[in-house]
Amino acid sequence: MFWKQSTTGVNTKEVKAILDEKKAKMKLSLKACAHCTLCAESCFLFMGRNKDPKYMPSYKFLNSVGVLYKKKGKVDRLDLGEMRDLIWERCVLCTRCYCPVGIDIPDMIALARRVCRSQGVYPQYERD
Amino acid sequence: MDSSNSFFWTFAYDFIRGPMVWAAFIVFFAGTLFQVFRLLSFTKEQPISKLTPGPGRFIPKKADDKGKKDWVMWLKLSIAGVNPFMTIVSTIFHVLLIVMPIFVLGHNILLDNSFGVSFFSLSESVSDFLTIIVILCVAVFLYRRLFLDRVKAITTWSDYLFLSLAAAPFVTGFFAYHQVFENYRLIISLHILSGELMLMAVPFTKFVHMIYSVIIRLTVVSEYSLGRGNRTW
Ligand code: HEM
Ligand code: HEM
Ligand code: SF4
Ligand code: SF4
Repeated sequence: MFWKQSTTGVNTKEVKAILDEKKAKMKLSLKACAHCTLCAESCFLFMGRNKDPKYMPSYKFLNSVGVLYKKKGKVDRLDLGEMRDLIWERCVLCTRCYCPVGIDIPDMIALARRVCRSQGVYPQYERD
Repeated sequence: MDSSNSFFWTFAYDFIRGPMVWAAFIVFFAGTLFQVFRLLSFTKEQPISKLTPGPGRFIPKKADDKGKKDWVMWLKLSIAGVNPFMTIVSTIFHVLLIVMPIFVLGHNILLDNSFGVSFFSLSESVSDFLTIIVILCVAVFLYRRLFLDRVKAITTWSDYLFLSLAAAPFVTGFFAYHQVFENYRLIISLHILSGELMLMAVPFTKFVHMIYSVIIRLTVVSEYSLGRGNRTW
């Protein structure tokens, strides 16, 4: 990006540290994804939401973990907020998604949740 | 071709047909080996007794029935049942992509000239027909990328690049065989160059899914693993 993104309110070092833990596996998995959408039907939420592409497992991990690695952890609160909607509201982490290439989608979404949680971004019901 | 250019072209032609072929094969095999071991290093063996893989496996009705797998149900729940059209297109594409280069007559003649060994060759009309089939499969992939909302939602420019790279050896091979263009040398150089780039790209780009899918689905236990994997991430 040619402009600098404001990362106020995000501890990018902490985010980066979490990302580095699983960097090799995650980056290879992101690379191996053929962007074929064949995992879509395996997600009951996709099926139950009129096959809205925003509910495809691949859409969810590419736009959460994928963005986190692409930006090397330098994300802003807005990015994290968008991710929250994807990885909590559109995914219940039931681990039923099926990718013909063998990509471990639930683990990727779980990692994105961990990053968001570390920055205090999570849904209301987890607050108490 | 004017004379100021001809030195460059002769050099490029010889390079693409000579050292670069070797380089491509070395990068491909060494890179593949590297990624296989890297993938295995991400997972570790674990004694797992509870998990028996597979949708379609039911709780046994009788005590002596070991929970036989219902293969029809298994197929219905797999991508073959959910998306039969793409399963067929994709399977044909991938089988031909791997098998064709080994059995094309032109390749076997080159092997025979260099090493005195060759595989069984497909007749030229058969490989020509199969080449057209591969190009049609690519057209289906391209159509999906361009016009289906769900595929568009996760498509990036690199998907087009790699789809073109996978198609290029077939398109140029087809043109070379039919001598569609005057300049056979140019087309065959482009064919060889695209084949080499494709081979070198396998271990390090999106094409790495070849290695990933084989290793992960065969060795890692999950509901969808193929065979009896005993490793976990
Ligand atoms: C890496 C070095 C390669 C060399 C030196 C090479 C060389 C050749 C030659 C000399 C021909 C014969 C053309 C003719 O009949 O005039 C040919 C045809 C062909 N090649 Fe290759 N090739 C290479 C890689 C590949 C790869 C990687 C693929 C596919 C994945 C491929 C697919 C084909 C096909 C399908 C034809 C036949 C086309 C037709 O008959 O319509 N080649 N190649
Ligand atoms: C055993 C090896 C391989 C397996 C199991 C495999 C598996 C898959 C799967 C499951 C998909 C997604 C489904 C689809 O859209 O067709 C796919 C897509 C694709 N594969 Fe492979 N693959 C293998 C080898 C290769 C190789 C060697 C190449 C090229 C060098 C390749 C090129 C592609 C391309 C270009 C796509 C994307 C098609 C699209 O744009 O939708 N594959 N592969
Ligand atoms: S996660 Fe798997 S099934 Fe889904 S788009 Fe990527 S490669 Fe295809
Ligand atoms: S884990 Fe999430 S993406 Fe996967 S099937 Fe369940 S709800 Fe869908």
